[in-house]
Amino acid sequence: MSHLKAMASRALQLALVLWAVVTILFLMFRLMPGNPMAAYIDPTFTVEQQEALMAQFGLDKPLWEQYLIYLGNLLQGELGQSFRYREPVAERLMTLLPNTLILTFSSLIVAYTFGILAGAYLAWRRGSVVENTAIPLVLTTRAMPEFWLGMVLLAVFSFWLGWFPAGGTRPAGASYDSLWALYTSREFLSYLALPALTLAIYSQGLPLLLMRSNMLDVMKEDFVTMARIKGLSNWSVVVRHAARNALLPVMTSFAIAVGYQLQGNVVVESVFSWPGLGRELVNAVSASDYPLAQGAFLMIAVVVILMNLIADLLYSLLDPRISHA
Amino acid sequence: MLDTTLPRPGFVARFFRSLRLPLNDPFAVAGLAIYAIFILTAIFADAIAPYDPTEILYTPNYDLAADLRPGEDGFILGTTSLGRDIFSQIVYGTRSALLIGLTAAFMVALIGSIVGLVSGYFGGWVDALLMRLADVAFGIPFLPFVIVLAAFLEPSIWNVVIAMALVLWRDTGRVIRSQVLTLRSRSYVDAARVSGSSDFKIILRHIAPNILPLSFLYGSIAIGWAILTEASISFLGFGDPQSISWGYMLQDAFASQALAKQAYYWFVPPGVCIILVVSAGFFITRGYENLLFPKLGR
Amino acid sequence: MTETLLSVRDLKVSYQVGKGSIDAVDGASFDVPRGSIVGLVGESGCGKTTVARALTRVIADNASITGGQILFDGQDIAALPEREMNALRWRDIAFIPQSAMNSLDPVYTVEYQLNEVLRRRGGLGRRQARARCEELFEMVGIEAGRLGDYPHQFSGGMRQRVAIALALALNPKLVIADEPVTALDVIVQRQILDQLRELQSMLGISVILVTHDISVVAYVCDRTVVMYAGRIAEAGPMDAVLMEPSHPYTMGLRNAFPDLKGAASGVLTPIEGAPPNLAFPPPGCRFAPRCPFAVETCTTQQPALGMVAPDHRVSCHRADEAAKLRQEAARTETWLADA
Repeated sequence: MSHLKAMASRALQLALVLWAVVTILFLMFRLMPGNPMAAYIDPTFTVEQQEALMAQFGLDKPLWEQYLIYLGNLLQGELGQSFRYREPVAERLMTLLPNTLILTFSSLIVAYTFGILAGAYLAWRRGSVVENTAIPLVLTTRAMPEFWLGMVLLAVFSFWLGWFPAGGTRPAGASYDSLWALYTSREFLSYLALPALTLAIYSQGLPLLLMRSNMLDVMKEDFVTMARIKGLSNWSVVVRHAARNALLPVMTSFAIAVGYQLQGNVVVESVFSWPGLGRELVNAVSASDYPLAQGAFLMIAVVVILMNLIADLLYSLLDPRISHA
Repeated sequence: MLDTTLPRPGFVARFFRSLRLPLNDPFAVAGLAIYAIFILTAIFADAIAPYDPTEILYTPNYDLAADLRPGEDGFILGTTSLGRDIFSQIVYGTRSALLIGLTAAFMVALIGSIVGLVSGYFGGWVDALLMRLADVAFGIPFLPFVIVLAAFLEPSIWNVVIAMALVLWRDTGRVIRSQVLTLRSRSYVDAARVSGSSDFKIILRHIAPNILPLSFLYGSIAIGWAILTEASISFLGFGDPQSISWGYMLQDAFASQALAKQAYYWFVPPGVCIILVVSAGFFITRGYENLLFPKLGR
Repeated sequence: MTETLLSVRDLKVSYQVGKGSIDAVDGASFDVPRGSIVGLVGESGCGKTTVARALTRVIADNASITGGQILFDGQDIAALPEREMNALRWRDIAFIPQSAMNSLDPVYTVEYQLNEVLRRRGGLGRRQARARCEELFEMVGIEAGRLGDYPHQFSGGMRQRVAIALALALNPKLVIADEPVTALDVIVQRQILDQLRELQSMLGISVILVTHDISVVAYVCDRTVVMYAGRIAEAGPMDAVLMEPSHPYTMGLRNAFPDLKGAASGVLTPIEGAPPNLAFPPPGCRFAPRCPFAVETCTTQQPALGMVAPDHRVSCHRADEAAKLRQEAARTETWLADA
């Protein structure tokens, strides 16, 4: 099947991109002004610890050899030790990743559900007063700084009305039997609500505008006219045929949006003290915890690139013209 | 060498005509008006702002003028927790916002256009190399990249601009490239080539003028991006400590418990300003798109 | 039950364009007898597709039926409330579109699209629908194993067969085929037309075949309606109209097309000029500006649709001189610009 081959070459291409990003990351952290040693070795470590790390990361070797060691370590999932937390970067990031993914997916699912429905509705009401006021409004939500929207929601719903907690993922001192118990608890949802809403309000614009313009195009297609000539119900015409076709590129954009959202999370997680990858990256950079910053950056990059691949896969799965070639 | 190949007089007029400003779209006109107001504010900031934005102010009773509400003691929008005039900060913030927005947009449009031109016109391995570079730029998480660069290099608005330009040229570059590919196959370009014009001359005379509106379109998208990004960077504390920007104001407000104090007068105005400038850019962009690609619009 | 299934009476369809309106169909009248294939022929833009779509009452957003009657089985469907009209669609009046590629939904299998009609519009159960799908595919000569395929997996000719199967699904009384073979190559065109003819006579249905190609009409139709610039130029039994055309436009059309059966019969001569802009139609006969036989009256007075032989109507001021004009029309020089 030729589309399998196409997918394989796309995956290979993205692997090359990932390699390039990893290399840029290496150069960024090694060639920074200041002592390159500092990138890996905490000055407060004992001499033995420092020497052990020097050997592990080959910091006494020439740059190209360091690069090979760096690649080798990455392949084994070895991201080094965090200065601040004195624990392996990989382990620490893995405990934060679920928080970020939950925030990202819950906000995007809300945003896409709303955006798709509203976009289809606005296409249907094309030229109406509703549409003419809604579109500039949607553009305005795209113009908002996400963190500012978060601040306003926080000031209103948390500090003024007191409906939601101001930050974090759980009440102070609360403990749960398992991560599952935490993520399904009511408290967790109340902590999740505001950051997720913030991201959702920002993100709904893309699916909304995309769905609307796709619907407008699809409604002009012959098969939609034929559906009417067949005497199918309005619902069948608009939903089964027009919306189903218009949805294809919107669903693909979901994966891209996940990758994009992960970057936007950096600020929103900071506003809501949400313990995720983005906030960790900011804190690590501020505290010059280089291994942790590098690891967080890398993890975000991997997800972004992976989501690009998933977008392609999704498209070829959802479009029979590709999956049944 | 350069002055022999530069277009003849009338270039300025031609330039503005080829920009084709969307003046018949009310939203685009509103966007242009908003821009005009902010540009004037930035130019005359010294005259408009009653105080130095970083000056610590005192009330007539020699108390620190901290956390004053709008109108109190004559402070239009009140003061910050450190006794600085919020209105003056807003006015001066216009400068850094526009400076960042316009320079970043210019760099993005310039790099993107050059890459697109070279890639599309020459093709071959140059094209392959540049497009793989664009793929890599698409793989770099934008905001984290800017944060890391801004934090490692000296904190200054130029480093933020450079970091943004290093990533954001990718969209412009790809679009311009495909535009150049279609232009290159037009008959008048062939005619110029057959008649012995140099590549440089063909690009400058026949291709560059035709991609100018697209460069401008993507440049105007980048203005909004740059302003939003700068705000995020400053909010996270990686901005230029020397310049007052709206993002810096929001960080200051956030760190000073303005949310808990319900000091909306402090953190709402900078956000509204950002929204105004960025959405003005969107409206101009949209007017442009309808003008350049009429079938996309209504 | 009368002999006539469909009778279009003085139909007018207008498009709203800006502040003005264009009468794309301006007083078209013709009949479709039961069990016959009627060819609706004319150049692109003459209003034939608009007529075809008006019969289904699914027309462009800016178009509306502004006058006349569409008597289907004695009932004026132009005046029918939308609900009742919708009940009629596909059960009684089905449609074969020009490009089956674009008119089949790309994201559903062919079986899904057949089922949609059979179950939602025909009220069939799952098992009945499956049996009917297989039956329909057998009728149009595609193996039932391909029911689960998507539209893009079929060839152009096969897709057109699928479109025919789809049209026949609910045993309609009338099938409107809008340029059903235009996009296909000549050999496939013949196969599809043969099949259409065969199924039509087997099922005893009526077909309106819209085409710009007079050889398609000659190949398959019983009757012909020639349209020009939103009006009927000539209508009658196919043989009468094509063998003894009485309208100069029909004479010209005959010269301009090769024979579907094979080699061109003589030299092909195009009609010079272009159809009039319908926003500003000429005051007299609409063909007059291009007509080599136009006289004074033609440019000032609209000709009426008159009878030249039993069942053969023509809209021409010089219809009584038709025999003489036919001889002149056979010569190529007549059609070369004398101006």
